[in-house]
Amino acid sequence: MSATCEFQAKDYKSSLKPIWCPGCGDFSVVQGIYRALAAIGRPPHEIAFVSGIGCSSRIPGYTTAYGFNSVHGRSLPIAQGIKLANPDLLVLAAGGDGDGFSIGGGHIAHLIRRNMDITYIVMDNQIYGLTKGQLSPTSQKGRVTCTSRFGSLEEPVNPLLYVLAYGAGFVAQASPTDLVGMAATIEEAIRYPGFAFVNIQSPCVTYGEEAQQIKGLKAISENLAAMGHNPADRLAAMDLAQQYGQKMHLGVFYRNPEPAPTYDGLVRERQAALSKNAPPKEQILDLFIKK
Amino acid sequence: MATRGIDFQTLSLMDALDLAILIEDEAQERYEDFAAQMDQHRTPAAARFFRLMAFNESKHGEELSARRAELFGEAPRAVTREMIYDIEAPDFDEVRAFMTPRQAMEAALASEVKAHSFFLAAIPVLKDAGVKALFEELRDEEVYHRELVTEELAKLPPDSAVSDEDFVDEPAPQ
Ligand SMILES: Cc1ncc(C[n+]2csc(CCOP(=O)(O)OP(=O)(O)O)c2C)c(N)n1
Ligand code: SF4
Ligand SMILES: [Mg+2]
Repeated sequence: MSATCEFQAKDYKSSLKPIWCPGCGDFSVVQGIYRALAAIGRPPHEIAFVSGIGCSSRIPGYTTAYGFNSVHGRSLPIAQGIKLANPDLLVLAAGGDGDGFSIGGGHIAHLIRRNMDITYIVMDNQIYGLTKGQLSPTSQKGRVTCTSRFGSLEEPVNPLLYVLAYGAGFVAQASPTDLVGMAATIEEAIRYPGFAFVNIQSPCVTYGEEAQQIKGLKAISENLAAMGHNPADRLAAMDLAQQYGQKMHLGVFYRNPEPAPTYDGLVRERQAALSKNAPPKEQILDLFIKK
Repeated sequence: MATRGIDFQTLSLMDALDLAILIEDEAQERYEDFAAQMDQHRTPAAARFFRLMAFNESKHGEELSARRAELFGEAPRAVTREMIYDIEAPDFDEVRAFMTPRQAMEAALASEVKAHSFFLAAIPVLKDAGVKALFEELRDEEVYHRELVTEELAKLPPDSAVSDEDFVDEPAPQ
């Protein structure tokens, strides 16, 4: 059960000092998460925060939630396991664009189709930051990096369209260019009953290009609510999502007005139904050894 | 720089004082975080300057807290830190590893300008005369702080035309 006392953002800040490069966009993302969690008001011990590997994946350690900085690309299956083992926990998953859309790209579809009640935050800096600036799945075509000396030949993955196409019930985008919007979007994602995805364009100040820094992002940002976008309109959301890379739309692209039942909820129901006629634990072994 | 859930038209003097204290708290915390980042990234001169700024913000916060206690005692606070976003705190991306003291001061100057614009924009909306007077005082203080930092900046020798970053390894990504 949740405690009734109120929490402040600072209650979610751990004593560990972030070792990101000074100026890194991830500093503002962690602040947005503190504020969103304070608004939700669940005590830190009722929150499980799982990440993969990357600069961004250090984020659980900077919160007071239970954290697991796990294996590259594997935050989602681990978060799913935690949610199924203890559905009462608020489960967050986070990581980078490489973590989520390269090595971990195959997991997203399955959490979406199951509608796991997990909020997944991707800090999309269009680069592999931790490993010193290699091409990532969201890097723009033509991008020069240490693994694309003459410019990338590949089209980038569009993370927004990717999750919308698989049927995610909540899809949003945020950025440090709008801190109020970022905290509100993360809060809304956590409140959504099902799989919620937030793509955060979080600048890498060490390996990112000029256009991807705050000033460049501000120049291409547009607020979805101010544009009059209806977040219940999935096709309109997909249309807008196609502009990923050219425009930075901020806010909720899509929120399913009739959220499907969550897998964790269905599992709980199934367990309750089956356990009605289940023999007592001490008799279970007998089922296997008796003829 | 932004706020969430604050109605400036109905702001009471107690809420306004609490808001001003929270603004100082936020700035103090950001400067402390910046100082820690500079320590970690071997940029000691900027770290020293950010610590000094954190101290100044805390001193100002204490003065405001004393005023609040005198006027309103222990009355519970209605405004929270979650309602303010980087009013006087420098923006997260204002710092870099190996930044010079001049660059650190320029970051502080930008945040004083930002705070000044905040009070300037809020004043015409305010209804309560006491709140208006307080915001005007805070606005003028920002002008004074700006002058102080500008004076300190003028005393510094110009930065080398060659970037410090050219002499050091790039920061280790984390
Ligand atoms: C299985 C495995 N493969 C590769 C790596 C090396 N590796 C660590 S982080 C990373 C990519 C980081 O990029 P991203 O996920 O975008 O996070 P960022 O550092 O940009 O926040 C890679 C390739 C690893 N740790 N484990
Ligand atoms: S390398 Fe980039 S993503 Fe990693 S901590 Fe530094 S600025 Fe942030
Ligand atoms: Mg990345």
